[in-house]
Amino acid sequence: MAAKQATPSPTDIGTGPNAYQRTSRRPGWMSPGQLLSRYALILVWVLLAVGYAVRMPDTFATTSTFQAIFGSQSALLILALAALATLVAGEFDLSFASVMGLAATIVPVLTTLHGVPSWLSCLIAMGVAALCGMINAFFVVVLDVPSLVVTLGSASFFLGLSELVGSATSIAISDPKLTDLMVHRLFGLPLSFYYGVALSLVFAYVLTWTPLGRHIAFVGANRDVARLAGVNVRAVRAGSYVAASMLAGLAGIVIVASVGGFDPVAGSVYLLPSIAAVFLGTAVVHPGQFNPIGTLIGVYFLATGVIGLQLLGYTGWVQNAFYGAGLVLAVSVAALVRRRVGVG
Amino acid sequence: MARLELRGISKTFGPNRVLSGVDLTVGPGEIRGLAGQNGSGKSTLIKILTGVYAPDPGARISVDGTALGTPVRWQAAHAAGVSVVHQDLGLLDHLTVAENICVGGFPTTRMGRIDRSACDRISATTLSRLGVDLDPATYVGELSAAQRAEVAIARALRDHAPGQGLMILDESTRALRGSDLDRVHGMLRQMVAGGSSVIMISHSLHELASLSDCVTVLRDGRVVADLDAAAGLPEHEIARAMLGDSVTRFDRAGKQAADERPRIVVQGMAGQHARDITFSIGAGEIVGITGVPGSGYEEIPALVAGGARTTAGMLHVDNANVDLARFSVSRAMRSGVVLVPERRDRDGLALELTVQDNVTLPRLRRLRRSFFLSRTWRAIEGRRAIDEHGIRPANPHALARQLSGGNQQKVLLAKWMAMRPKLLVLHEPTQAVDVGARQDILHKIADITQDGTGVLIVSSEADDLTAICDRVLIYQADGGLTPGDSDDADTLLEQVFTTPAPHMTGQ
Repeated sequence: MAAKQATPSPTDIGTGPNAYQRTSRRPGWMSPGQLLSRYALILVWVLLAVGYAVRMPDTFATTSTFQAIFGSQSALLILALAALATLVAGEFDLSFASVMGLAATIVPVLTTLHGVPSWLSCLIAMGVAALCGMINAFFVVVLDVPSLVVTLGSASFFLGLSELVGSATSIAISDPKLTDLMVHRLFGLPLSFYYGVALSLVFAYVLTWTPLGRHIAFVGANRDVARLAGVNVRAVRAGSYVAASMLAGLAGIVIVASVGGFDPVAGSVYLLPSIAAVFLGTAVVHPGQFNPIGTLIGVYFLATGVIGLQLLGYTGWVQNAFYGAGLVLAVSVAALVRRRVGVG
Repeated sequence: MARLELRGISKTFGPNRVLSGVDLTVGPGEIRGLAGQNGSGKSTLIKILTGVYAPDPGARISVDGTALGTPVRWQAAHAAGVSVVHQDLGLLDHLTVAENICVGGFPTTRMGRIDRSACDRISATTLSRLGVDLDPATYVGELSAAQRAEVAIARALRDHAPGQGLMILDESTRALRGSDLDRVHGMLRQMVAGGSSVIMISHSLHELASLSDCVTVLRDGRVVADLDAAAGLPEHEIARAMLGDSVTRFDRAGKQAADERPRIVVQGMAGQHARDITFSIGAGEIVGITGVPGSGYEEIPALVAGGARTTAGMLHVDNANVDLARFSVSRAMRSGVVLVPERRDRDGLALELTVQDNVTLPRLRRLRRSFFLSRTWRAIEGRRAIDEHGIRPANPHALARQLSGGNQQKVLLAKWMAMRPKLLVLHEPTQAVDVGARQDILHKIADITQDGTGVLIVSSEADDLTAICDRVLIYQADGGLTPGDSDDADTLLEQVFTTPAPHMTGQ
C-alpha cells in the first residue's frame, strides 16, 4: 500500500552515485519507540512482578517464590527451544511434547524395570527421540506431506508408544546421582535451570554467529532463495525436526530426573505453554523474529504470571487461561507497538 | 567456447508440452534477453536450468564446454558458475548486507563461527567489482530499492571468478524505475564487459531492447526468434515476435472531449502523501493520472475508492456528496466507485478460489440471499466472465492461482465491471501483463465506457495512458494535477519527468 512506504523526495532521484548514503550498523542509541517495542515484554514482566509484590509482600516477594519461578521451568524451557528449532526453519512440529513424554517414559522403564544403568537409558531415550525426529522429517521433507498433518499424527502415535512402553502406569525412578545432576542447588537454583539457560545461549549463538544459523534463517524465510544460494535446504529442514525431537528428549530426561517419574499423558499439558513462550519471545530482543533469548524470557514471564496468580488463590483453570490469553495479548500488543512506531 | 549451451530442451507435463526442443547458446560477455508472453515457457526453462524440473530425455546442458547431467543438480550448476537473482531478490531485512551476500558460502573461523571480517571483506570486494559503494555492515532493511537489487546481484556474483560465470536475472529489476534502473543496468554492463554472462528475463521490452546483445523470444514453448539487439532493436519487433502476428498498436476510436456535466467530481482531496487532488470525470470518459514514481500519486486510487484515509477534500458522484469522513471501500462501492488495485496477487484476488468464485464475490451481498446461493447463477456468471473477457483457460473452476498474470487481471476486471460501477478506478492495470492480454484489457476498458461508466486509470505506463485516455493528468510532486499530453507517449513522459522541482516536504 502506498501509504506504508516512506516517500522519498523526488529530488533524491537522479543525483547519481553520490546519492547513496552510508548508514551505520548498530546505531549507538535506539529511539525510545524502538527500545519500547524491543523490550516492552520485559517492562510488562517487571510491572507484573512489582504488582504482585505490592499486592502480596509476604508471599510473592520471597526467596521461595523466586526459586519456584526460576527453578521449576527448566523442562518447559528446553521444550520451548524444541518448538523454536522447527519454527525458525519455517517448519511446524506439534509432536515434540509427545516425544518428551516418550523419553520421560523410556528412562524409568529401562532403569527401574530392566536394570539398565541410568546413563545408558538416557542415551537410549535420546536415540529414540532422534528417531522420532527422523520419522517426522521423512514424511514432511522427503514425502512432502503437510507438517501439520504429519506431526499431529505422530504426536498421537508417539503418545501411544509411550503408553505401550510404560504400560499406562507411572513408573518412578530413584537414582540419586541422576536426580542430583538436575536438582543440586547452585546459588539457590537447581542445576537444571543453568542447563536451560546455557542451551538457550548456545542456541542463540548458533543462530546468530554460525553459517548454519544464518542458513536456517534463509530457509525459514524463503526456501527457494536459500536453495539457489547454495544452502542444502532439505538437510536444514530435516535437521530442524531431528533437533526439535532431541531437545524434547532432553526435556523428558530433565523432567523425569527432577520429578522422579512422569505420566506421558501429561505431556500434552506442556504443548501450549512452550509454543506460547516461543511466540511471546518474538515480541522481544529481535521483534518479529523467533529467537532463543526471547523464548527464555517468555518462559519465565509466563511462569511469573501463573505463580503469582496461584499465590493469589486462583488455581487449576487459571494456568490454561493465562497461558492462552497471555500469548494472544502479548503478541498483539507487540504488533501494535511495532506498527505505531513504524519499525520492523 | 560458449558460456552456456542448451540443446533440445523439452518438457512435458501430462498432456501438455510446455517446451519443445529449445536451443539456446549464450557466449561469454553477453547479455541475453529472454522474452515471451506468460506461459511461453520462459520460467519452465529457467526451472530446468536450476534443477527444479527434470527435462524430458534427450536434453543437453553444458557450461563452458562441460556437460551438466540432467536433471540438473543445482550444486553442480552453481559450482560451474551459474547463479540466479531471485524474482523478489530474496533478501532478509534484519540481516546485514554482508550476511545477505555471503549466505550459502559463509567464511568461518576455526571455531566454526562466521568470520565477520572475512564476510565483510568478501562483500566489499564483490560490491566494488560492481562499482557499488555500500557499507557491508548496513542492515538491508535500511536500503533503497536500487541498493537492494545491487545486494541481490552481488550475492549472485560472489562465487563468480572475474570474467566467468552466468547470472540469471529473473524479473529481478521490476521494482526499479528511472535512474535506479539505469544504475543497475550500468552495473550489469560493466560486469559483462569483463567477460561474465547474463540471462535477463523481463516484462519490459524497453529494458530488453536497450540492455541485451540479443533477445531470444519464446512462444508456445519454442524459440521463435533470436533478435540481434546490439544495433538498436525496436520494441515492437520483440512484441511482434512474442505475439506471433503483427501488433496493431491499440488506439481507442473516438476519444471524446470532456463532458460538461461531470459524473464524478473530486475537489481538493488529500491523503498521507498525495495532496490537492482536483479533477472531474464525465460520463463515458477515461481519465489517466501519472507522475514521478514515489511522488505520492500512487495513493490516489486508494483515496478515491475508500481504501486509504483522506484528510481533506470532497467527492461528488452524480451530484451526490459522498461523506469522506466515514468513507470506506464498502461505502465507495455503494456509491458506485470500485477499485481494481495493483498487486493483484495480494489485494485483488483470492488465489486459492476458483475463477467463478472470484468473479461473483463482490455481488454476493447484493443478492441479499444470505443462506443459499444459486449454483446456477454463479456458473452462469463465471461462464459469462470467461466469454466476455477471453479468460484462459476457459474453465470457471480453475483456481485463480493457476492463471497467468494477464488472465488474472482479466478476472479482476470481470469481477468489478460486472458491478456496473459509476466510476471504475484502475491502478496499474497492465502491470506484469503480457502484450496480448494488454490489448484485451485495454479493449475491455474502452468497452465499459459505452454505458456511461467513468474510468480513472492511475498508471506509470505512458503507452497505455496515451492509447486509451481522453485526458491525462500529471501529479506534481508538491501536490496538484496539471494536464499532460494524451496522444503521444514520449511527449507525456517528457512532461512527467520535467515537472518543476518540488518543495521539500517536511516529513
